[in-house]
Amino acid sequence: MLIAALRKELLLQWRSRTQIMAVFVFGATSLLLFSFAVGPNSEALRLYSSGFLWLGLLLSSTLTLAESYAAEMENRALEGLLLLPSDPRALYYGKAIANWLQLSMLGIALVPVMVVLYDAGTTDLLRLFAIILLGAAGLSAPGTMYAAMTSQARAKQTLLPLLLFPLIVPALLASVKATSLVILGDPMRQLTPWISLLAAFDAIYWSLCGLLYSRVVED
Amino acid sequence: MSGGVVTGGWNFVIAAYTVTFSVLFIYGVSIVTRLREERSREKEEANPQ
Amino acid sequence: MKTGPAAILLAIGAYFGFVVAVAQFHGVSALALGLPSGAIATLAAGCGVAGAIWFLFANDQADSSAPWQVMAGLGVLCLAFGSYYGLFVAPPEQYMGEVQRIMYVHVPTAWNALLAMTLAFACAVIFLFKPDYKWDSRMEGAIEVGVVLAFLLCCQGAIWAKPTWGVWWDWDPRLTTTAVLLFAFLGILALRRFVEDPARRAIWSSVATIIAYVDVPIVYFSVRWWNSLHQQQSNPGTVSKQFWLPLRLNAFGILFLMVAFIMIRAQLATLRRKQEMAPPLPEVAELGEAV
Repeated sequence: MLIAALRKELLLQWRSRTQIMAVFVFGATSLLLFSFAVGPNSEALRLYSSGFLWLGLLLSSTLTLAESYAAEMENRALEGLLLLPSDPRALYYGKAIANWLQLSMLGIALVPVMVVLYDAGTTDLLRLFAIILLGAAGLSAPGTMYAAMTSQARAKQTLLPLLLFPLIVPALLASVKATSLVILGDPMRQLTPWISLLAAFDAIYWSLCGLLYSRVVED
Repeated sequence: MSGGVVTGGWNFVIAAYTVTFSVLFIYGVSIVTRLREERSREKEEANPQ
Repeated sequence: MKTGPAAILLAIGAYFGFVVAVAQFHGVSALALGLPSGAIATLAAGCGVAGAIWFLFANDQADSSAPWQVMAGLGVLCLAFGSYYGLFVAPPEQYMGEVQRIMYVHVPTAWNALLAMTLAFACAVIFLFKPDYKWDSRMEGAIEVGVVLAFLLCCQGAIWAKPTWGVWWDWDPRLTTTAVLLFAFLGILALRRFVEDPARRAIWSSVATIIAYVDVPIVYFSVRWWNSLHQQQSNPGTVSKQFWLPLRLNAFGILFLMVAFIMIRAQLATLRRKQEMAPPLPEVAELGEAV
């Protein structure tokens, strides 16, 4: 059931790959703009690079999350899906995993842009990618949930970031901190607590949103 | 800080109390007015002469 | 639900909150019934909050405006006495000086803001299990009043931070968590504005309230970790006996005022929902058929 839902989502994403390309360009543009906010100070840019990377990913995520329900809203397809003898939880997890994969890919694709613009490279790519995977999971679990509500409400473009941004403050904080520890070095061994915080956030919201999702779509 | 005593500061105290009570007062008045309006509208709709 | 038990609970709370405190202030300790001060404070706070919330649930669906007027009157009375004691009777604190007097409104606001959000969370959980719209009205009231209190808390925190730390805003865990909480619950109020269908609005905002409330401790601990170099805040648990009375009076004052506000706001929400759910007027229905 979950596999079928996930396959459907991935197929939809594959068909809208130009959209994904556009979101990547949007994220890269925002990374470029952040450097104008700081000015041509390469030391400061390197220092704040992880914050910029995550803000770029966060801004892009509102586009991809809202887009993930666009197909369902056309021709009231969501109601049709709910009529199938399937668990809405499978629907949620399929969508959340698809969003997670997409956001992780986006984050990993933004890393070279960050390295070029801010001179913030690292050889510890394995850890960096692990943090991006965990952080993207923290964005996609509540994001998929809120997108389900806001895609059916008025003023959806405003509402999704309004609800999502305050909620993911801890995930953002932990991701930024962990990324900057990987890039700038970790003399105090602080990386593990931040990664465990991120993992705890993911665990709480992946389970809580899965529990509550059926109430949101069935009424 | 370094353990020093904060001297003066009455203006901050007055500011804090003023902000607190004016926000509470304005909010209270606004919801009571909204409730009155809603009540009178309900009554009008119940028996429109 | 009847109002009687609420009155009894409130009376117990008032006895242990004020009568015993005033008597001890004058050297009479027989009224405390031999209880330690921690137990007295717990009894006062527990009975007061339980009584106020019982009163809220017993009366907020009534059409009359007498109950909330009682609560608002009690609240104004407590706040007037508490502020008088806090501003003019209590001595200035040893290190903080006069600025300490902000604490007498700041700490009660903080307790009640958290209480309002907790009430909203409880209403959200109950609504998901027992879909009765009165819980939705209560949740709307609690969220809105909680947002007002959280906003006040940020203002007071900024006013306190300026003379003590020299800056308006400090990335202190409590202040930051309050700000995050304020924006999260403002988002839920916005969600309620933009969804017209009452059933969907109720369920979605309950779910959003649960999700946002669960975030509070995570935000608190992450900010504390993030900003670990911060100096310890003065802990209201360690203040001396002279500070208890204004603190308790104001805490109960804001609690009663908050209950009155939530009652008004819940009645308003119920009235609005009735109008939304009312069948269309006959003329409109006929027009629709003609088209």
